[in-house]
Amino acid sequence: MTTYVESTVRFPYKRSLGPVIGQFMTGLTEARLLGIRADDRVIVPPVEWDPETGEQLAHEFVEVGPAGTVRSWCWVEKPTTQHPLDRPFAFALIELDGASTGFLHAVDAGRREAMTTGMRVVPRWRTERRGHITDVEAFVPGDQPLPVERAEPAGEPVTMMTYDAEVHYLTPVTENETRVGQAAAEGRFLGLRCPRCARLYVGGKNDCPICAVALTPQDEVDLPQRGTITNYVIITPVQYPGQTETEPFARVHVLLDGVDVVLMFQPVVDLANDDVRPGVRVSAVWTPPDGTGRRALAGWRPTGEPDVDDPALVNRIH
Amino acid sequence: MAATEPVAIIGWSVSPMERRTDKTEAQLLLDVITDATAHAGISRADVDFTCAGSCDYVAGQAFSFVQNINAIGAWPPKRDSHVEMDGAWALYEAWVRLQLGDLDVALATGSGRSSTADPATIYPMEMDPYYLAPLGADAVSMAALQARVLLDAGLVTERQMATIAARTRRDAVANPHAQVSGEFDVDALLAGEYVRDPLRRHDLPPITDGACAVVLARGEKARELTDRPVWITGFAHVAEAHQPGVRDLRVSTSAARAAKAAGVAEGGPIDVAELQSAFTHEEPVLTAALGLGPEVAINPSGGPLAANPIMATGLVRIAEAARQIRDAGKRRALAHATSGPCLQQNLVCVLEEGR
Repeated sequence: MTTYVESTVRFPYKRSLGPVIGQFMTGLTEARLLGIRADDRVIVPPVEWDPETGEQLAHEFVEVGPAGTVRSWCWVEKPTTQHPLDRPFAFALIELDGASTGFLHAVDAGRREAMTTGMRVVPRWRTERRGHITDVEAFVPGDQPLPVERAEPAGEPVTMMTYDAEVHYLTPVTENETRVGQAAAEGRFLGLRCPRCARLYVGGKNDCPICAVALTPQDEVDLPQRGTITNYVIITPVQYPGQTETEPFARVHVLLDGVDVVLMFQPVVDLANDDVRPGVRVSAVWTPPDGTGRRALAGWRPTGEPDVDDPALVNRIH
Repeated sequence: MAATEPVAIIGWSVSPMERRTDKTEAQLLLDVITDATAHAGISRADVDFTCAGSCDYVAGQAFSFVQNINAIGAWPPKRDSHVEMDGAWALYEAWVRLQLGDLDVALATGSGRSSTADPATIYPMEMDPYYLAPLGADAVSMAALQARVLLDAGLVTERQMATIAARTRRDAVANPHAQVSGEFDVDALLAGEYVRDPLRRHDLPPITDGACAVVLARGEKARELTDRPVWITGFAHVAEAHQPGVRDLRVSTSAARAAKAAGVAEGGPIDVAELQSAFTHEEPVLTAALGLGPEVAINPSGGPLAANPIMATGLVRIAEAARQIRDAGKRRALAHATSGPCLQQNLVCVLEEGR
């Protein structure tokens, strides 16, 4: 039976802005809205190339707004976590005074009935502005600019921006994957043998990638606990979020005896980085049962047997 | 461009369309590839080139398409490609690849499990990362902004939109893959609450998990493999500016240009069209841009309003258009796919019967 695993994936991007978007973002820190001239039009927010012709635009910036006219709008009754406001609001295409195009942003109108096409809006600026599209917290109904705090010229031009989105995923875990996980919790390796080509797989595959046929619990085989290192890498850890290693460490591919595919990127136990090499015979080391009786694979320890002398070992993949 | 070397659709398969499937994307693909190759009367070994359309953000996994290759049976090694686009663009690449003349059979797939996450949080990730994504600009909001422009301009009415919803749901009754179907009263639909004013529930597509596979064959090979090839006689796709605020949202310039490039107006009347109009108001924009009059049957399958498997919805249109020729006796069909906010990119594929 398929089960599901919940996870939250963060996408913390840092982006360089370039000469045009950077100018716009710098303007935001000064509470100014800038467009770029394209022939007789003023495009807001500015783009680097003419949307009509694809020609690179000269960097001729024009201050627009701050007031503008709503050319289209929709009402967001239930905002998502990514939306700029956490209460009902409108998304609108706003033609800022002096601009020829619609600027997408939020209008904090309070209620849907306050929204009409053609209405006038002005920006409500954040006090702390960093050169980001959300420096405008939202537009609000009105024709007169709101007072702005700290609207002084920027010290340094803005060249970078961050975008930190989060998506909450619900991912299926198939029966084969679940059963392999359950076997591992008992300190066992469960394999699956293709009913057509008889290749023996590790890792809870759902289908034979050679024959493209589904593998089922009827194809399960208990696998040996011994194998041979086929390949390795010594990783010097970079301290990205989630990295717990601090010193260079090994990851190895292990080919279990009699199996057709390798277990990839496995940790090693009692094997110094300098001694890691293809051909080393290893056996599985399991953690002691935890409070719920579950084990986990700790890594692979040398058995002391002579190395397997087979230059083709390193070619074993996946 | 017009086809230089004739290429035909010789088989296809559309998966069940569900709000949440128990299957992984690779498992969905395993099934539709098995069925599509069987439908074409070939085996996986006969396929020379594969191209898949899917999206890592939808899957919630980097390089998710690599796992999907398991469904192809890619041994001995096969020429394979991937587009981070709807499968309709994968089919376009496969069609272009067959023009080189050294390969005969290609397979295009599209697959997506939209149930992995709230689509409203995935979609902004695919938007312009400076001005749109940080605002969480989601698909429904973008569509609603275009709908408002059309309503304000008097080019469409809310009643017309509800009528389109009722028609597609009624047509979808005959489609075993439809997720939303049945008889609905237009006045009752109009009495519903707005989901995103000016859009009501019936103006929106359902959230769908699903996949599709289509088999192509070139020239003589197509004739050898089937008595009833469905020929691709025109194929083009055109993109316009990404920012919706710089475009005239009352029209679809890129759809009109794609239709012209694909030769829609030449070679006889279009009998039927399958359009990727995932929102009701997009249908009149597209029929106007594509030059489709009231005599053309639109979305007899129910279209994306009946089932909307993101990354496969466009390819399903091509499969359904081919079905209209193969199984419903139509002569000339148009399939359309779209991508990007407010119909930013549009693809047009013209299909015809013939030996």
